[in-house]
Parts: sequence; C-alpha cells; structure tokens
Amino acid sequence: MNILTILLLASVTFGTRYLFLEGRLPLRLGSNVKQLLSYSGPSVLVAICTPIIFVHDHRLDTSLDNPYLWGAAVAILAGYKTAFNIYWCVGTGTLAFVLVNYQG
Amino acid sequence: MQRALAAAMKGASDMLPLSFAVLPWGILFGSLAVHRGFDWFEAQLFSGIVFGGAVQIVTVELMANNASLFTVLFSAFVISSRHFLYGLALRERLSIKPLRWRLGLGFLLTDELFALSGDRRAYRNRFRLYYALGAGGSFYLAWNLWTFLGIFAGTSLPDLTELGLDFAIAATFLALVLPGIKTVASFSAAVVAGVASVTFTLWEFDLGLVCAALLAMCVGFSIQKIRGQF
Repeated sequence: MNILTILLLASVTFGTRYLFLEGRLPLRLGSNVKQLLSYSGPSVLVAICTPIIFVHDHRLDTSLDNPYLWGAAVAILAGYKTAFNIYWCVGTGTLAFVLVNYQG
Repeated sequence: MQRALAAAMKGASDMLPLSFAVLPWGILFGSLAVHRGFDWFEAQLFSGIVFGGAVQIVTVELMANNASLFTVLFSAFVISSRHFLYGLALRERLSIKPLRWRLGLGFLLTDELFALSGDRRAYRNRFRLYYALGAGGSFYLAWNLWTFLGIFAGTSLPDLTELGLDFAIAATFLALVLPGIKTVASFSAAVVAGVASVTFTLWEFDLGLVCAALLAMCVGFSIQKIRGQF
C-alpha cells in the first residue's frame, strides 16, 4: 500500500515537472508570455531564498544578530567584487554566517 | 565524448554547494521515514522516484498519520506546482529535444537544477544538455546518498538542520540571481518576489512560493511594458 502511494506521488512530482516539456502538448507561447516567463528565474529564486534569510521560527527576523542577514550581505558584497563567482559568494558568506552564528 | 564528460563534470561541480546544502534534509527525511514506521526500501524509494525534499517530508508525515490518499496526493501537488513554472520557462528549449533528454532532465528538474538554468545558452546545445545532466544527476545521487545515511545512521547522527546549511542555498541563489538584475523591471520583480514570499511564509500560505513568483513576474513584465512605451 505504501509502495503504491509512493508510486502515485512520483507520478505527481514527475507530472508537474514534465508536462510543459512535452512538445505534443498543444500550447504555443506568445511573445508576451515568453517575456513574462523571462522573469520566472529571478522571481522564483528570490522567493525561495528570502524566507530562508528573514523567517525563523515563523517570525520575521530583521535583527542585527540574525546570522543569515550578515551572511547574505557579505555574499552580495563578495559577489560584486568577484563577478558573482558562486564559490566566493558561498564561501565568504558562510564564513560571515558562522562567525555571527557562533559568537555568542 | 570527452567534452561531453567535461561538461557533465562542470555541471556537477557547479551543483556541489547545493548538493551539500541539502545534506541535513536528506538525513532528516531518511531518519524521519524510518522513525514513522516505513521500511528502508520505502524510504529510499521516496528519494529514488519522488525526488522532492519538501514533498517527501510533508507526505511521509501525512501517510504516517493515516491521512487520506487524496490529502497526500493533493498536498504533493500543491508543493510541486511551482514546477509547472519551470517547465513553462524551459519549454521552448527542451520541448524540441529528443524524448530521452526530456524525460531525463524533466525528472531531474528540481529547484536546484532550475537555478542553474538561467544562462542564455542553457540547454541550447549538446554540451549544455550534458552540463544539466551532470548538475541534476549529481544532485540526485547526493540526495539519495543523504537519505541512505539518514535511514541507516539517522538515530546516531545529531540534528543538522539547525546548523544553518540552508544558508548555502540562499547564498548560491543570490549569486545566481543578482548578476541578471540589471533593469528597473527585473529589480522590481526581485523586490516584489522577496517581500511577497516572506509575507506569505509568515502567513503559512502553502501556495506562497508560486504566488509570490507569479506576482513578481507580472510586476516585472508590466514595468517592462510601461517603460517600453516611452
């Protein structure tokens, strides 16, 4: 029974991922829709990462001892200095995060 | 062939920070599933074929609490609905590719792989496809390995989710997003996405992520249209 449910769950996640990749789906994207979708990448990624930074224990955390805030600020600064090299951003950001997180 | 392999390796190495960032959740899922009475095979099967962090953690709890099949599947659908957006965004590039690429990359199309799909040339040629395969495939292996660790060693491992490894996800996504924010329209979209997503999260609104993203896309698009007229 569990196995069957897991198989159905797999078809749900795969279905949502695959549906619009299917060429035979009768759907043509007009130029307006394509322009709208060009904003999907940044929009989704920002929407995923901002709650990680700002919401902890179901509360808004904008205090200066929020390590995520410091880490993000340093990662952004490092990004502007290194043409947004992922390793520099994550590395220096994490360092700042760890320093603030474990200082007290 | 060698260049294809090199492209796949590049994808895997670009994915590495994200592969490690989800380690606590992979372990959490594995040990949670075993703790809730699933056997090791079922727990591993979740990560092997369902392959979605939030979906797995939520549905395993629901199943353990004997929720109805409809509730379980509907919750999975709601959490998974953001993938429609990824499919739409990549439709033009991927729908013309051979079936095996569509099936393979479609299966691997997580938030993390979509995050690495922002490049102008992403999926355009064979090497870009191998790059995505390396990125998505390595993430799949990592997720399954972390799940395996959670299943077999979960009780003897400390809870790592408080360690703050999710910070690496936020930092990586910022590094991927910020270089593309060059116009008033894209800047506005990013601000709206952030404010809306934080607000919806505080409201504990299940479709918050998708709605925040859709709202932000509409704002970016509208500003682009309005500015284009002058």
